[in-house]
Amino acid sequence: MTLHFKSLDELDEVANLLLNEAGPHRVWLFEGDMGAGKTTLIKALCRALHVVSVVQSPTFGIVNEYTTQSGDPIYHFDCYRLRNEAEALDIGLEEYFDSGDYCFVEWPERIEALWPTPHFRVQLTADPTGKRTVKTR
Amino acid sequence: MRNRLNGNLYFCPVNLLAIESSCDETSAAVLVDNQIRSNVIAAQLIHEQYGGVVPELASRAHQQHIVPVVERALADAKIPKTALDAIAFTRGPGLLGSLLVGASFAKALALGLNIPLIEVNHMQAHVLAHFIGDSNPAFPFLCLTVSGGHTQIVRVRAPLDMEVIGQTQDDAVGEAFDKSAKLLNLPYPGGPLIDRYARQGNPLAFRFPLAEMPGLDFSFSGIKTAILYFLRDQIKTNPQFIDQNLPDICASIQYTLVQMLLTKLKRAARETGIRDIAIAGGVSANSGLREALQKTGQELGWRVFIPAFEYCTDNAAMIAMAAKFKFDQSDFVGQDVSPLPRMSF
Repeated sequence: MTLHFKSLDELDEVANLLLNEAGPHRVWLFEGDMGAGKTTLIKALCRALHVVSVVQSPTFGIVNEYTTQSGDPIYHFDCYRLRNEAEALDIGLEEYFDSGDYCFVEWPERIEALWPTPHFRVQLTADPTGKRTVKTR
Repeated sequence: MRNRLNGNLYFCPVNLLAIESSCDETSAAVLVDNQIRSNVIAAQLIHEQYGGVVPELASRAHQQHIVPVVERALADAKIPKTALDAIAFTRGPGLLGSLLVGASFAKALALGLNIPLIEVNHMQAHVLAHFIGDSNPAFPFLCLTVSGGHTQIVRVRAPLDMEVIGQTQDDAVGEAFDKSAKLLNLPYPGGPLIDRYARQGNPLAFRFPLAEMPGLDFSFSGIKTAILYFLRDQIKTNPQFIDQNLPDICASIQYTLVQMLLTKLKRAARETGIRDIAIAGGVSANSGLREALQKTGQELGWRVFIPAFEYCTDNAAMIAMAAKFKFDQSDFVGQDVSPLPRMSF
């Protein structure tokens, strides 16, 4: 599926379309350059999933845990600061992936050997006019 | 802890050991009464001793560091561990794996020595670092806590009574500095490099949009994208743009980020009527923020409190200071306590 959008107002609709498309997939991998809008899209997904916590960038803490209205956890990762896959294992990444809860992963390129099967890949690009494109695989 | 001596109340010194392992640094500090006697940070210690790279992120590194760091802290403070009255540790927020190392060590040591255990919130400790030394803000005061992982304005009514009245809704300001540096092809984390180049640049050379956020909250994700597009446009006409203008670009980015922080801080001071204003956290080492805060303080009649460099970044001395306030209230925890990666207050 390929989606285009320009305005932040369209994000909630994009989030709902992605959730439909992903079906039972729980581990989502978000690829895209810095500033492409990965964290902003994940904020919209969390809104759609009724997260009650503040969704902030996990770059510093590597993983943020949020809670939905019904009490389910959602994990938000940023692998940007990980230098290798061993560091990802140290923080228990596999256990999170196996938990069956939603795991939204930014910069998954850093941990390619640890990608679980199945997973849901979301590629995000921004062109110079500010138009964003979301591709899923 | 109180003995009568010659009819006067006499306080035995209180000896606390504090452990901080919330993120990259393993740190231990010893506090005797209200004086920090030692404050050891692993990355520095290991660098000094062995040189080379330290795998800062891994909790395995914390496991390797914690024993030598604690031993060094006790040795520097010149007290044996049997003289300790309590052990404090960072319960959160932070990385679960990292927090677990400090928490487990603290629990085991407290159990072994049969002394109380004190849990400390890392973000509260940043604020309470202002009570190390003689220049202390008066209650109530406001503290802007800024680091790679946090950006918040805290209203502090009493040492253990504080409230977050504004915070970032996306990126932390330290992260905005680091990621801007990355867009300029500087090594990550490059926040301190932006500060260094900014000193030679013109802060008004380039304009970036200030985020519009309601109330006292912050947003720093938009500026990152704005910088990305700005650089892309400039490089199209001049491929050498970054190299030729680095000081001006850095000064302009720093100016914008500092203005975003100060706008909300001024608003918070106006709305609360509080004029004792403090900053804390790693980004409070930024020279642009320090200068702008001093200047704003003079204009608005604030008393401004800026911590010493060593207490800006993550350190166990601030954990010890926070723990002292809890010790005085006998605010202890049991052995069943576990870390809280997203701990709030």
